[in-house]
Amino acid sequence: MGGLVQSVQWAWGISAGISAVVLGLLFFQRYFRNLPMFTAFVAANVCQWGLLYVIYLQFGIGSRTSLVLAWISEACILLLRTLAAMEVLHRVLGPYPGIWGLGWRVLAVAFLVVLSYAAIEAGQNISAAIGLADRGFHLAFAVALVACLLMIRYYSIPVDPPYRALLGGFCVYSCTVVLANTIARALFLRGFANIKPIWQFTMVATYAGVQGAWAVGLWKAAPAMQVRPTLLRTSVYRQISPQINERLRLLNGQLSKFWGAKAARQ
Amino acid sequence: MTVSMFILFGLVAGLLLLLGWALHIPGKLAKSGVPPDALDEVAGDHVNFLPQIRQALAKADFDFLRERAPEKVQQRVRGERRGVALAYLAAVRGDFHSLLRMARVIAVLSPEVAALQEFERLRLTAKFNWQYQLIRWKLLAGFATLPHLDGLSNLVSALSVRMEAAMKELGERAALAAELASSVNRRGLDVV
Repeated sequence: MGGLVQSVQWAWGISAGISAVVLGLLFFQRYFRNLPMFTAFVAANVCQWGLLYVIYLQFGIGSRTSLVLAWISEACILLLRTLAAMEVLHRVLGPYPGIWGLGWRVLAVAFLVVLSYAAIEAGQNISAAIGLADRGFHLAFAVALVACLLMIRYYSIPVDPPYRALLGGFCVYSCTVVLANTIARALFLRGFANIKPIWQFTMVATYAGVQGAWAVGLWKAAPAMQVRPTLLRTSVYRQISPQINERLRLLNGQLSKFWGAKAARQ
Repeated sequence: MTVSMFILFGLVAGLLLLLGWALHIPGKLAKSGVPPDALDEVAGDHVNFLPQIRQALAKADFDFLRERAPEKVQQRVRGERRGVALAYLAAVRGDFHSLLRMARVIAVLSPEVAALQEFERLRLTAKFNWQYQLIRWKLLAGFATLPHLDGLSNLVSALSVRMEAAMKELGERAALAAELASSVNRRGLDVV
């Protein structure tokens, strides 16, 4: 295929194959009912592999047309990836409406803050704007996802292994994109000529690994039953939560005094 | 360029570490979100022993020993008192965390959660842990005189009284949910 080195072509083929396996598992194990957006994302990925293959064959990998079409397809994939991650998070937090309400706010704030910073950075450097924007998006995505996962951990909310694999995979891939883009750009600016195939191989191989983890996670059939917890009345939270905080605040005050008294005595 | 690169690498490394920690959920929690013992624990158990602790740490006792006992005995008593103070501090921290666990359970089972309340609790927890560690290390190092522990008691124990109503409701609802789940299981239906 025009311009791609052999190892990248192999990685490309393997990754496309694993994408197809993941898509198959989503249908055969009936995950597509629970995760329609994630299924659409994986299907779009498979289509993207095919589309890029045809584009590169037709126009060559270095042409401007290929570049534009590749980034347009990537933008669509990024949008679908965001929606798919939101969907998985909603599957995990959906039974807990209070925590989900908090979770999507944490997600939105973290995402927007980091993305704004990245947009400013990309805006200042027009020549590398697309690469910086892509890196910024992935950084924002990873930060938001990790913030949400920490919240899930903090509240001890159970996460089914398949969903854990999906969320972990999203995050690992985004972190790899951030690192690879940063290193590749730094080496490119220093005149390292052969960085492009290495960058391509890293990206494709990492994504193949992530999809492999997804395939393992999705190997078991989708859980048929989702037990929703019996919720308390809203008034219980409104009544108890401020009292607990007040008590904790007083306890902290006592510890401060405790500390202050000793310091004074010395 | 180099500094920003290092910052970025550090950020990504931190993200990956946090990701690993967040995804590694202890087996007990992986199956049931709310710990089975979360509703059984009542905050304030340990602080009920405050009178005994105060007695053990009474200054009068130590003055009495200073006048009559040899230095070696005084040192041993001082060490034992420090141990008592440390154990008590640890127990108060246990009560603090028990309260936090209860607060988390209530938040998880609530249809609405106030972000400000939750972040305030996070801040208080960080502050408590910081202060606790400072005092603990100072006691361990022997820099601190034995503490006056007055007032710590009511702070934790009083809340347990106020929370009885909420816990009762939690217990009733948990029992109802368990009964519902078992009856649905018997019929082979899904609960969604």
